[in-house]
Amino acid sequence: MSDKKNNFTTISFRGGGFQFKNNYWISPTVFIVLLLLWHFGSTLGFISNLVLPKPTEVLIAFHDLYVTGDLYLHVGASLKRLILGWTLGTIIGIIIGFAIGLFALVRAGLAPIVAAIFPIPKIALLPLFIIWFGIGELSKINLILFGTLFPTIIATYGAIDNVDRSLIRLGQSFNLSWFSITRKIVFTASLPAILSNMRITAAIAIILIVAAELIAAEKGIGAYIQMAGSLFAIDRLLAGIIILSCLGLIANWLIGLTERKLLKWRNL
Amino acid sequence: MELAVKNVSKTYGNLLVLNKINLKIDEGQIVCVIGPSGCGKSTLLRLIGGLENPDTGSIEARGIPPSDCLNPLTFIFQDFSLLPWRTVEKNISLVLEDHGLSTSNRNEIIRSVLRRTKLTEFSDRWPRELSGGMKQRVGIARALAVNPSVLLMDEPLSALDSQTSEILLVDLIELWEKQRFTSVYITHNLSEAIRIGHKIVVMSRRPGEIRETVNIDSEIMDREIRNIELEEHLWNLLRDEAMAAEWELKNE
Repeated sequence: MSDKKNNFTTISFRGGGFQFKNNYWISPTVFIVLLLLWHFGSTLGFISNLVLPKPTEVLIAFHDLYVTGDLYLHVGASLKRLILGWTLGTIIGIIIGFAIGLFALVRAGLAPIVAAIFPIPKIALLPLFIIWFGIGELSKINLILFGTLFPTIIATYGAIDNVDRSLIRLGQSFNLSWFSITRKIVFTASLPAILSNMRITAAIAIILIVAAELIAAEKGIGAYIQMAGSLFAIDRLLAGIIILSCLGLIANWLIGLTERKLLKWRNL
Repeated sequence: MELAVKNVSKTYGNLLVLNKINLKIDEGQIVCVIGPSGCGKSTLLRLIGGLENPDTGSIEARGIPPSDCLNPLTFIFQDFSLLPWRTVEKNISLVLEDHGLSTSNRNEIIRSVLRRTKLTEFSDRWPRELSGGMKQRVGIARALAVNPSVLLMDEPLSALDSQTSEILLVDLIELWEKQRFTSVYITHNLSEAIRIGHKIVVMSRRPGEIRETVNIDSEIMDREIRNIELEEHLWNLLRDEAMAAEWELKNE
């Protein structure tokens, strides 16, 4: 005890942990290990081929898709619907969101309707849309448009509500025109929220297109998966699912790219 | 340009914030307004700058601003109010863009105000890269860019540490020596008011009323860093109010 009283002792460090470290090699390793487990599980018979075919078989199904040109056919059909529906839904959603965010009258009129339609699972509208727009492209594109429209409206006017009022006051105090304040301050300030909403709507669009194609389509990734399922061709079914995963990843990557370009000032 | 605040009152809901304020701001004069927190000093400034409407009374200006004045009543804000998505240069450019100036003309003005506020080498920086003092320099540069008749400063140094605010205060005094602008300067810092004000208006707690006006005749440049006597006088006026204001907020 007298030692502790009279001598200096080093204070032990207790501030570690609770922080991210970038381990770039971990995730590829986990991925490869899982693939190997799957491969050896299938070849050694732990996993029944009826339930889960070998990874190489999925790869062959993928190769077939590519060689026969069906890949372009199905992915192309889905992409066309996705891009058209998502782009239209996003643009119209941003415009309506801005109208609600900027004009009290529009908000009073539209916000309750948006709130009422937003929670409807949009896939429930597909039968209605088929009656309205026919079995062809229009019903699917409209479904995606509808599915992306409402989240975009809500995210956009929510973003506008959150714009720092002091920046708007700044604009007014320097006599900036209404249009200048809207474009240079309100729009730019709400851009981060609008862009991060695009990640969500891209995922929604992919969910909706597959659901719609499962129900009623001859072409498209959903239709391909549906066909494979009814033929019990699990290798092709899995190939379809992998394409969907890639589609989602690519969409996410593109939005990330846009964010880095448009939101340079945040330096994230 | 000179300004006159005539019998101005302002209420928010049922709350009377300003009660019958009369104030004259002469050409080339810096009028400091001090008072306890919540006394309506900032509201008074926003009223003068036309960002709010008085319930009664009026705010009048006399004199014609010079022809190159783009925005006669110009604010400098406590929180700087810089757009984070624009560089220093572009933040200043923002307030020039709506005036139909040529690009070269605009760049000329930007270069000039950056030089006057010692910011020249920071022109391409983002606001997030700047210290508080530097951000407020940008705020001052932006205000100077429109060549204002009256500078409305809302606690411009209150968000800065005391060393930085001392440096910026000296810069503001030098700037005034060169340009002799008219200004309303809101602050809660008594010694700041004594250093830079030609006239100090002491306001009372809510409802804000003018309690006393002190004129300081000595040249701003010649003043001592501290004037203990006057500071004590002002503090005596404010102390009870400040304490009561503190108590009031906590019971809200």
